[in-house]
Amino acid sequence: MKYLIVMVAVVVLAGCGSVRKVETGTNKVGERFSMQLEGPWNHVDFPGIKPGQLWTMEGITVDELIIYAGIKDGQVMHPDNAAQTKKQNVVFRRDMPTEKIVSMFESVMTRDDSVFKLLRIEPSSFAGRKGFLFEFERIRRNDNLRQLGFGYGAVDDGELFALVYVAPALTFFPRHQARVEAIAHSALISPPVGAAAPVAILPPPVRVSIGMPGQRLPAVSTAARAVAIPEPK
Amino acid sequence: MKRRQWLHMGCAVCASLAAGGLLAQGDLDYAPPERLARPDAASDEGGLWAMMDREEKNLRRSGLLLRDEQLNRYIQSLACSLAGEHCGDIRVYLVRTPQFNASMAPNGSMQIWSGLLLRVANEAQLAAVIGHEVGHYLQRHSLARLRDIRDKAALGQVLGLFGIAGLVGQVALNATAFAYQRDHEREADRIGAVLMHRAGYSVEESAKVWDGMLQEMRARDGDGATVSPLFATHPPTPERRDSLSAIAALLPGGSAGTESYLTRVSPFLDDWCEDEVKRHQFSESVALFSRLMVASPVAGLMQCYRAEAYRLRGADGDDERALSDYRLATRDGAPLAKAYRGIGLIERQRHRNSEAAQAFRRYLELSPGAPDAGLIRSYLESA
Repeated sequence: MKYLIVMVAVVVLAGCGSVRKVETGTNKVGERFSMQLEGPWNHVDFPGIKPGQLWTMEGITVDELIIYAGIKDGQVMHPDNAAQTKKQNVVFRRDMPTEKIVSMFESVMTRDDSVFKLLRIEPSSFAGRKGFLFEFERIRRNDNLRQLGFGYGAVDDGELFALVYVAPALTFFPRHQARVEAIAHSALISPPVGAAAPVAILPPPVRVSIGMPGQRLPAVSTAARAVAIPEPK
Repeated sequence: MKRRQWLHMGCAVCASLAAGGLLAQGDLDYAPPERLARPDAASDEGGLWAMMDREEKNLRRSGLLLRDEQLNRYIQSLACSLAGEHCGDIRVYLVRTPQFNASMAPNGSMQIWSGLLLRVANEAQLAAVIGHEVGHYLQRHSLARLRDIRDKAALGQVLGLFGIAGLVGQVALNATAFAYQRDHEREADRIGAVLMHRAGYSVEESAKVWDGMLQEMRARDGDGATVSPLFATHPPTPERRDSLSAIAALLPGGSAGTESYLTRVSPFLDDWCEDEVKRHQFSESVALFSRLMVASPVAGLMQCYRAEAYRLRGADGDDERALSDYRLATRDGAPLAKAYRGIGLIERQRHRNSEAAQAFRRYLELSPGAPDAGLIRSYLESA
């Protein structure tokens, strides 16, 4: 009986989500967003994560890199079950200034009643465009875990491109911070189909890290730690 | 008159009748039980306590706990004034969560969320909620619910053998479990009212808590109910408000304790208001801040946060409303940095660079180390 229950659970869960390996090298997300990886990641797909794409090194309960590749005007960020709860959804607008975009991410990350504290927000080049970066601390509601995170974003041709990384403040954030920074620095937004290339591609950002005081950031390793997951068939 | 209005009126009448009837039965002469002894570990109640002990241990380590000693001592002493000789068995934990909620575990551990502390206007309103939770504890409602669910689960299994008819029976059985829980809530409301009256608080304030909640629900849902009355865990909010009003008429007098409450919670209001705005449920927040603004010594702060809710909602006319609120909040030069920031952000979007720059400069003067100082400086440079 127990075996049967486990089998049924596996079949049901398999229908809910999937995991695949993201290979080292150039990766394209969506039609216009690409980035260089110096090691493999795990791409996890499950209901509720759209319109973002979720990558993880250690597993989704540990660290999350959410990639937003061309969120369009009026698009809902991680739609809630609004019909039942009548909650207002968080919607991206093309004319949103930086502070409202970051407020939108704040709302997404506190939807489960986690506590979010903004540590820094400032202009930064991102993916060759004028953009912004923000850093934050979060206490996750369901397990009281203290996390650190940061995000980069830019709006191009009315579409939002962003990366948001969050991981436990102890061990995991410092372990992967430099790797995610490298991904953010390598990100590139290509022009929309039929449009001319941008006049100037801005250099990648250089910034002081929010790593723990006195902590040395680990070097980016090409032998990235990916969770052992069977190759997709 | 619409059908729903008739229903609401009917509910109010029933609630008033029920409350009036309670006095006739002497239910407002509530006598609390003796102190509850720790149950036998081998009993179902002992198991429940052990489970809650584990939860409490985790809660004590939580980063979400509000650990300010003075605030904790203040609210614990308020709980003690209601719990009487059970005071030593009740432990209050303040949790930073922007929702209106409080809960009581059968082992005496009580959680009060910051969203509730923001929403109550005085000691009497907080006493109404704490008294309600103490009522659950004294009447051992958690244990009664556990036993009820266990018994009904067994009956449900049997009903499941009878096909469609059994399924209908199971649904009805579930509905009775919820009805049982709603009865507990009504009883806890009544006990809470009695305890707060004995502690010297105005019972009239307890109805105002639910009136405030109703305003927020209407801002969110209009007049539509979101939960089926058959499967709701709590009685409908209008019913609770009306029955508490009826009890208040029978238990007159008492104080509200507005000043003493606001003095104790003022240092935390800024954080709690910020958490509220982050919920991104702006219409509810506007209703909440509008209510808290009325005749309150913290009106300026509430007006500033109402402006924040308007600015972030960004519906037609919201920028004007936000600007008006920000300006009123900063009249006479009140040093509300967030209000100057808000003025600057709206004026910048309207390309009124000089007004934006002036407001941003004031913001940075008041809050030079703000997390967004870098962004605001970049706006100033480009103005």
